[in-house]
Amino acid sequence: MAEPERHSGTVLAVAESDRGGALRPVSWEMVTAGRAVADAIGGPLVALLFGSGVGDAAGLLGAAGADRVLCADDPGLANANSEAASAVLVDAIAAVRPSVVLIPGTTLGRDYAPRVAARLRAGLAADAVALAVDGDALVATRPVFGGRVQTEVRLRGPGARLVTVHPGSFPAASPQDGVPQAIEGLTVALGDLETRVRVRDTVAAASGPVDLDRATIVVGGGRGLKEAGNFGLVEELATSLDGVVGATRAVTDAGWRPHHEQIGQTGRTVAPRLYVAVGVSGAIQHLVGIQGSDYIVAINRDPDAPIFKIASFGIVGDLFEVVPALIDELKP
Amino acid sequence: MAMNVVVLVKQVPDTNAIKIERASGTVQPGGQHVISSYDQYAIEAAIRLKEAHGAEVTVLTLGPAGAKDALSRALAMGADKAIHLVTANPNASDTLAVAEAMAGHLRGLNPDIVLAGQGSDDYEGNQVGPQVAELLGLPVVSNVNGLEWAPVGQLTLTRDIEDGRQTVEVAPPVVLLAISGLNEPRYPSLKGIMAAKKKPTEQIATDVPVASERIAWSEPVAPEQTIAGVMVRDVPAAEAAKQLAGWLREQKLI
Ligand SMILES: Cc1cc2nc3c(=O)[nH]c(=O)nc-3n(C[C@H](O)[C@H](O)[C@H](O)COP(=O)(O)OP(=O)(O)OC[C@H]3O[C@@H](n4cnc5c(N)ncnc54)[C@H](O)[C@@H]3O)c2cc1C
Ligand SMILES: Nc1ncnc2c1ncn2[C@@H]1O[C@H](COP(=O)(O)O)[C@@H](O)[C@H]1O
Repeated sequence: MAEPERHSGTVLAVAESDRGGALRPVSWEMVTAGRAVADAIGGPLVALLFGSGVGDAAGLLGAAGADRVLCADDPGLANANSEAASAVLVDAIAAVRPSVVLIPGTTLGRDYAPRVAARLRAGLAADAVALAVDGDALVATRPVFGGRVQTEVRLRGPGARLVTVHPGSFPAASPQDGVPQAIEGLTVALGDLETRVRVRDTVAAASGPVDLDRATIVVGGGRGLKEAGNFGLVEELATSLDGVVGATRAVTDAGWRPHHEQIGQTGRTVAPRLYVAVGVSGAIQHLVGIQGSDYIVAINRDPDAPIFKIASFGIVGDLFEVVPALIDELKP
Repeated sequence: MAMNVVVLVKQVPDTNAIKIERASGTVQPGGQHVISSYDQYAIEAAIRLKEAHGAEVTVLTLGPAGAKDALSRALAMGADKAIHLVTANPNASDTLAVAEAMAGHLRGLNPDIVLAGQGSDDYEGNQVGPQVAELLGLPVVSNVNGLEWAPVGQLTLTRDIEDGRQTVEVAPPVVLLAISGLNEPRYPSLKGIMAAKKKPTEQIATDVPVASERIAWSEPVAPEQTIAGVMVRDVPAAEAAKQLAGWLREQKLI
């Protein structure tokens, strides 16, 4: 096999747009993460955006802090699948020869990053929540075992090192900081890649009763409740707090509660004054739906449950004992 | 000819049973080893394809000797045959090495559909599925929570993505990655368990290169608690409830 190419100190940060062509929030976080790594290794930051009709959005990435912006704008990329996205990224890597490639840890990013790593035989750290440069190694911290523990992945070597970055892990850069940048077009030959998987339709995440979105107090129940019947406890607690009921995906998938009550990445986002998590582990996909809450209370019997990491008040205990006692305490 | 479906099944420590040793912050896998949760949906989906439309279902694992229990369970659920690529510890290798080892065997099997879990319960790379797809030159559909064998010769799949629920169509050969909500995995019946004993399991010693120069990782450790919240533990429920009620009043939340 040929010697792997030795790459420059360039950092390539990939952004992502939504179906409407607007940048997803994670894109600004990618600029922040990319800037930090680029500054640490003393190289330039190149941003990449692909999609259909995304030229204006791409220009904003330069304004937010990227030194150069590549943009692959092609109607064939409107609903990019992993193969088309891989083709774009492989071409971009060939063009700028980066040492580090940061990819958003979105549904799509998690599909094409491993493909590109396989094609280039590059190391890939998945779902990083923090990044550091240590000598010649890029160190990515990532959660494993359901987010209860973390490992540090060290990427080395002369070629591109790939990382998917967990959404919400870096502060958002803002496009006002700097001069809007010109973009450089990147043309990619898609062939039939974009048609092997055909998107028939996409239905926006179900919207349910408005009260969950506007509620000032939400009580969210998780799998810790064991069965549908026990949700009476959550309802009772919600009533005594004058709040409404929400649920985790484990609960709605099991059919214990209707789907429109699901909170999280693929459900609703709530931002109450108070969120009470009952028998909820605090998986990252649930946390993204509750992190806007002013206060979070967690009741869980596992002291290592990730929910405690963002709880303002946590009780380690059996919910079947704690919740009834709490309902008693709240009686006028 | 019947469809050829291969399911990638990883055996993992039961994540509900793992304990984190407080002093060192390291993971102590307690309890048994089980089939990684998303892989169970993948197995169930394969068996349902077989029951509804006819298919031969092969389960493939890369793991230590004990991983044969995961295969036996999948056979008892209704898979037809099993392949065990025996290696000491797949978690000591980069996902790419794992994917390459499995892709090598998959090529010979010439599958119409490869089903895998979206991510494994322990290391959650979400990498092996797309990497297997890349190595086989196949499209991949991830986060699948709905699967129908229609229209004729095609699969209609639903998946949850950031923009909502997406419906896609794809013709085999394809790699599909299952998540929860796809189905309700069955428990093996007694009859299934008996039948499984007669089903073929091929064992192949497999050498997978361990962590390489390009990538290495540390033992998992518990991160520092980041938010200085109030934590109440080791007190009776009534006392904990009282403290919480007091705190809620203090913060003027009630
Ligand atoms: C692409 C994708 C999207 C997803 N989107 C979402 C989403 O939008 N929303 C969402 O919620 N999830 C989502 N998930 C699923 C998520 O990863 C978790 O699986 C889910 O949130 C777990 O739900 P849970 O906390 O109810 O269950 P578990 O993780 O099983 O946690 C149950 C908890 O209850 C505790 N417990 C058990 N018994 C008791 C008791 N007697 N007393 C006190 N505590 C007890 C346990 O210690 C445990 O921490 C998504 C996953 C994927 C892959
Ligand atoms: N050692 C293995 N043996 C069989 N299948 C595996 C193995 N590792 C990963 N997989 C499959 O790939 C999926 C994703 O794994 P991961 O990339 O580790 O999150 C799993 O759910 C399995 O279906």
